[in-house]
Amino acid sequence: MRIKLTSIMVDDQDKALRFYTGVLGFAKKHEIPVGEYKWLTVVAPGRDDLELSLEPNANPAAKAFQDAMFRQAIPLAAFEVDDIEADVRRLKAAGVAFTTEVTRMGPVTIAVCSDTCGNLIQLYQPAAQE
Amino acid sequence: MSAGRAAAFRRLCRASDLLRAPRDRPVSVREAAAAAGMSPFHFIRRFRALFGETPRQFLIRARIDRAKVLLASSDRSVTDVCLEVGFTSLGSFSDLFARRVGVAPSVYRRRVRARAGGAAPGCLTLMAPAFATFEKRGRAVAGRLPRS
Repeated sequence: MRIKLTSIMVDDQDKALRFYTGVLGFAKKHEIPVGEYKWLTVVAPGRDDLELSLEPNANPAAKAFQDAMFRQAIPLAAFEVDDIEADVRRLKAAGVAFTTEVTRMGPVTIAVCSDTCGNLIQLYQPAAQE
Repeated sequence: MSAGRAAAFRRLCRASDLLRAPRDRPVSVREAAAAAGMSPFHFIRRFRALFGETPRQFLIRARIDRAKVLLASSDRSVTDVCLEVGFTSLGSFSDLFARRVGVAPSVYRRRVRARAGGAAPGCLTLMAPAFATFEKRGRAVAGRLPRS
């Protein structure tokens, strides 16, 4: 058994694809229409070890959960980065809204921003191994 | 989150709640901006960065989403649904719905009800039909399925 696929709910799959590829920089892996929605996944560029499914939050229960977490400023996904300062600068230049600036938290440095699709996402950089 | 930033975040969330709350008269962008304690210009910019669309677009999406739920889960007429979600003209509601969703409200209702599993799929339930569609089209799926 492996962890190969995880998902995040988004309020609009087209908008999500634009943000996750065009702004964050992931690469589209699958985009298969299923009725009014799509099976839509992205991967980190040049890697195929983990796929992230951008799922429609059409189910009212999912929407209520997502809204509540957002309003409590709780991120629903976290992505590891190599240079958090550089990534935050790049994302801010692209107009991304941060709710938490770059902050050292023990062994990691984090920042939290909106994915524009109903979620907060946390970027984190582990401390360099001595 | 710093105190000032947290307060602005809360105010923007509250404004988004106002915009999509069911009500007789829609909240104007100016009113929502006032509720957030920001100038309309500043409000629209900050709102868009947080929610990915302008307050106006956000309001329309919320109405269409609510209409979809009502069409799928209630027996209320299309006119009733139109009025309930905040539109005043059936014509403009139907046009907008068709543009956003791809089909007219009545067609949407029929399709959703014919679909097994109900109105709103959780997305991981989309995986199987997605790949089934792929196979039906005779496309090479080997190597494209999520596998190690």
